[in-house]
Amino acid sequence: MLPQSTLTIVAPIQTAEAALEALRGVLAEIGRDPAANPLLPFGDLTGLHYGRFVILDGAVDPGSGRTVASSLAFNCCVDGPADQFLDHLMQKAGSGLWAVFQHCSGAPGPGDQGELLTWLRRHRIPTQTFYVNSLGRTVPQILKEAQLRERIDGFLDRKEGSTTAATSPSTVRRAIQHFVRGQNGLAWALRPEPPLPWAWRLRDGLHRIGGLAVGVLLGLLALPFVPLFLVLLRRSEINAPHPRQDPHFRLSQFDRRHLAPDEDFFIQNQFSVLGFIKPGLFRYATIRVILSVADFVVHHFFRDGDLGTIPFLNLHGVDTIHFANWIVVDQGKRVLFLSNYDFNLEDYMNDFINKVAWGLNLIFGHGVNYPRTDWMVFGGARDEQVYKAVLRKFQIRTQVWFCAYPDISAITIQKNARLRAGLFAELDPAAERDWLALL
Amino acid sequence: MNLELFDIQGIVGRGYGKHPSAAYLLLEVEEPALARRWLAEQVERVHTCEQAPDPDAPCFNIAFTHAGLEALGLDAEALNTFPSELKEGMTEPERSRALGDEGGAADPESSPRHWDWGGTAAGQRAVHLMLMVFAPSEADLDTTIAELRLLLRPGGLSLVRRLHTALLADREGGVREHFGFRDAISQPGIAGLHRATSGQPLVPAGEFILGYKNAYDLHTECPRVHHSRDPGRLLPPAEFGAHDLGRNGTYLVVRQLGQRVRAFWQFLDAVSRDPNGAANPERRVALAARMVGRWPSGAPLVESPTEDDPGRATANGFGFHHSDPQGLRCPLGAHIRRSNPRDSLDPAPGTAASLAVNATHRLLRRGRTYGPPLSMSFDPDEILQAEEGEERGIHFICINANITRQFEFVQRSWINNSQFNGLLDETDPLLGTRRLPSGRPTDTFSIPGCPVRQRISGLPNFVVVRGGAYFFLPSISALRYLASLTS
Repeated sequence: MLPQSTLTIVAPIQTAEAALEALRGVLAEIGRDPAANPLLPFGDLTGLHYGRFVILDGAVDPGSGRTVASSLAFNCCVDGPADQFLDHLMQKAGSGLWAVFQHCSGAPGPGDQGELLTWLRRHRIPTQTFYVNSLGRTVPQILKEAQLRERIDGFLDRKEGSTTAATSPSTVRRAIQHFVRGQNGLAWALRPEPPLPWAWRLRDGLHRIGGLAVGVLLGLLALPFVPLFLVLLRRSEINAPHPRQDPHFRLSQFDRRHLAPDEDFFIQNQFSVLGFIKPGLFRYATIRVILSVADFVVHHFFRDGDLGTIPFLNLHGVDTIHFANWIVVDQGKRVLFLSNYDFNLEDYMNDFINKVAWGLNLIFGHGVNYPRTDWMVFGGARDEQVYKAVLRKFQIRTQVWFCAYPDISAITIQKNARLRAGLFAELDPAAERDWLALL
Repeated sequence: MNLELFDIQGIVGRGYGKHPSAAYLLLEVEEPALARRWLAEQVERVHTCEQAPDPDAPCFNIAFTHAGLEALGLDAEALNTFPSELKEGMTEPERSRALGDEGGAADPESSPRHWDWGGTAAGQRAVHLMLMVFAPSEADLDTTIAELRLLLRPGGLSLVRRLHTALLADREGGVREHFGFRDAISQPGIAGLHRATSGQPLVPAGEFILGYKNAYDLHTECPRVHHSRDPGRLLPPAEFGAHDLGRNGTYLVVRQLGQRVRAFWQFLDAVSRDPNGAANPERRVALAARMVGRWPSGAPLVESPTEDDPGRATANGFGFHHSDPQGLRCPLGAHIRRSNPRDSLDPAPGTAASLAVNATHRLLRRGRTYGPPLSMSFDPDEILQAEEGEERGIHFICINANITRQFEFVQRSWINNSQFNGLLDETDPLLGTRRLPSGRPTDTFSIPGCPVRQRISGLPNFVVVRGGAYFFLPSISALRYLASLTS
């Protein structure tokens, strides 16, 4: 296992209309075959979970009335440190990177990879909240475990008929173990996946304890200001314009046809959304604090296949999100949200509304035109159709999306990992039956 | 809230079971002014939810496609207030791909390019409205349709196609579908209209009728017209001073699904044979039942896992999670467990929270079978001997207030989802597509078991889409409004 990192580079696109058009052309070329195109063959990159290019179109800031310029965002998630990956990317696809970023302001000329690398590093920006479905599960692990399952499935299919209801679970499991032992390519499956490095776990444990301590301390210090915060919050909630007031803003008014051609080709889908933060320091400060807290919470408490389950509050989470990034862009004016999720958007939106509306409200409720929230967690996304229309309205095209395992859902990845983990483990009869039920 | 039954078309409330003969006339508007006059006359004959159907007289219902509303003369602003799925239609290319009708995952035969009606082939005629006629007998139906056809030309309409139906009554007093299974057992009951039956909770009226609270306790958005376009105030008031075109109306999804009945039983026969090659009718029907989730009589596997039990033919008061969490009785991928998972899914399977989410994805089915049965007794042995011959299947018709969240969701996220509920590489055994768009096969069906699952592979397509469209089923007042339009 190896902890994943996220890498985001955002650079302004040259203002000439021709530059934007040329950039779109390059991205379209890459997008036609993200895995194996000659410019930037994402499939050749080691440890890459997904990669994407998204054009962030310029827009007028509703707060200041000033125009925010168009920029290009590159975002990916990799096994291990992002810096190392950037070097690897430059080695494998330096000319492809240049072909893309040459259309951004201030990009260095062709040929000098070192300069381009320095320039890219300078344009790297942090992800405020980074969610990973399963911390430390690497691309090779996911692919290998999917292959293991497929081989075991094939073995069972061939054996069918020789297994009867009278065959004991342990006999079947032993037969599977025997089969795996005899397979050349499956020697790795005889041992469990090595855990995360101990030094990393130690640091992570300290981070958790330290973070909680700092959190409690800051929470206590902030306590006297809670009434003031609630007054400001409520005033903002009541006064901010919201889509229900707009006769022209309705589900029937959005057009999904420019987004649909990029969706529903695989089990997984990409999702990119971009919106302004509500004007004023209050909302900006609030969302920054919430994103920092959320980053800490998802990293330490929602790192194993589930996002948002809190049993003592009777809250049920979502198990279909692979990765999510919340990134503050445009000098704090806009937030870019990028995720990879399973199945189709209607599914994803229903999950949000039915299960984690409170969480969405906490974060997205600070966005312009979000359905009206009450006390930050109530209302909001629960306004089903308006919420869906808002989401589609602010969703933007993902010009290039590559995923290393696009036809494997997060639940399947989890099941495959359990299958591998239990294959040679000591199991009591009940656990043995449960293990066989994974197949 | 009381439902305005006098304003809701009858098909919402009932399937006209006492009117065994039915036909759906697909019509095209050629002369809008004449068509509106025709509509004005027909409105008075449209059957409503308030009236008990006269067992001796025909009953009518009328639905429009988006193109039909436009052809009739509804203004562009109002047309634009309909949901995008109705505006774009069932055959918009990206939607066709998502529904599994077209593209990498689809059976090429199901492509809208080959549809008998509603498709995209050049020269295919536009379907503008659908007149549903229910009659007490075939003779009555023919007489009624003959009369109706005389009115079409003077009414500025032409007949695109007549969809025939033939109910498959079984000896037990139920109706079957062509594979031989009792159908139409589980229907959502509408709160305020139906009585709760067999322990299944009623579903809020807004899930099936516009203008009432839905399962989210909200009103599903309605189409509307600018108040200046309705000076006679035929329509009730809506938000922002507009007039409500949707209230008491709803949407119909119509899909003609051809069934390959012999292929279905041939496949089952082949995979259920004994090791020595002899046919095993008992295992064959048991396997079919595993795919459906009910036995041919209708008895649910959850209650009767090992053999058919006609005594439970209409049993419907069950959940899946508590009695069968792993699908050992009724496989997780069985048709009835995919199309209505009841309490199987997140959040918190087996609880009210799971049922509450399930309630947002219900379909009120009003379709009918067509074509002659391959065997009057539905006996697989007879079916295997018979010639496939004529086309047969079902005109799948469902009513829902939100096509995307109801019909399309069920089709995409449940029926055609190859990783539904933790499964892998399989779709609905009866209806599903057999490949992912990326080409990966999804033609297996797994039967959970002890010590380990069984898996059948190589499932062919048993169902072919032959036609389809999305319709708006207006209220009586909206029909009057449409008839009153001036160009």
